[in-house]
Amino acid sequence: MQSILAVDDSASMRQMVSFTLKGAGYNVIEAADGQEALDKARGETVDLVLTDQNMPRMDGITLVQNLRSMATYAATPILILTTESSAELKAKGKAAGATGWLVKPFDPSTLLNVVRRVIR
Amino acid sequence: MTAKHPTEPAVSEAGRNAAQECAAIEADLERLKNIVNDAAGRLLGSFHEFARLEQKTSRNLEERQRIDSAIGSAVTALQFQDMATQLTHHAQRRLAALEICLRALYGPSSGAEPLERSQTPPQAEMSSGSVELF
Repeated sequence: MQSILAVDDSASMRQMVSFTLKGAGYNVIEAADGQEALDKARGETVDLVLTDQNMPRMDGITLVQNLRSMATYAATPILILTTESSAELKAKGKAAGATGWLVKPFDPSTLLNVVRRVIR
Repeated sequence: MTAKHPTEPAVSEAGRNAAQECAAIEADLERLKNIVNDAAGRLLGSFHEFARLEQKTSRNLEERQRIDSAIGSAVTALQFQDMATQLTHHAQRRLAALEICLRALYGPSSGAEPLERSQTPPQAEMSSGSVELF
């Protein structure tokens, strides 16, 4: 079973993401911010990371930068799911190594289509 | 006939009142966030209970498709808490910045540090958002 690390400081968002991904057969590991996600990513390797941008302790783009500096996550798809839609921030995400940028709220079938497209 | 300008004490009083209004609106927004969080918690609990029970119910194909579609719409709509909280937080930051300006101009300092300038407002539409793969 493929594992996805879902990162969001909003418990309700984590619940909706987990509900959607688990319903499609993925194993979901949850983290409440970028730092917790980084700690969990160091502990076990996942097949995809889906992260919010604005979070306490460590934001999504910083998480992407940290993950990309690790050999095990050099090629892992990382999607940013956020309310932010500015071109400037998207460009920062792309430069950090994010695989894609999704604006909230997500439609479950669209999210699953994107995940299936990028996950290996 | 020349226009009558407000006196300096009247301007200062108006400025202080405006600062107090900002503080009151910030407090209202905090209460609104609490209401939204409470409502969202209850809705999410009901949603998960429904979804759990629904899995045990046998349905024909058409009913199953309609229920799956309704659940998908609910998943999108139930993200309102996160979005409402972020928008409210954004408005609170703007108000706090305005309050500090008003107090600096018209009244005693609040002692608070200036807040970081607000950035682009977050997504405010409840229809699903865009997707861009790099």
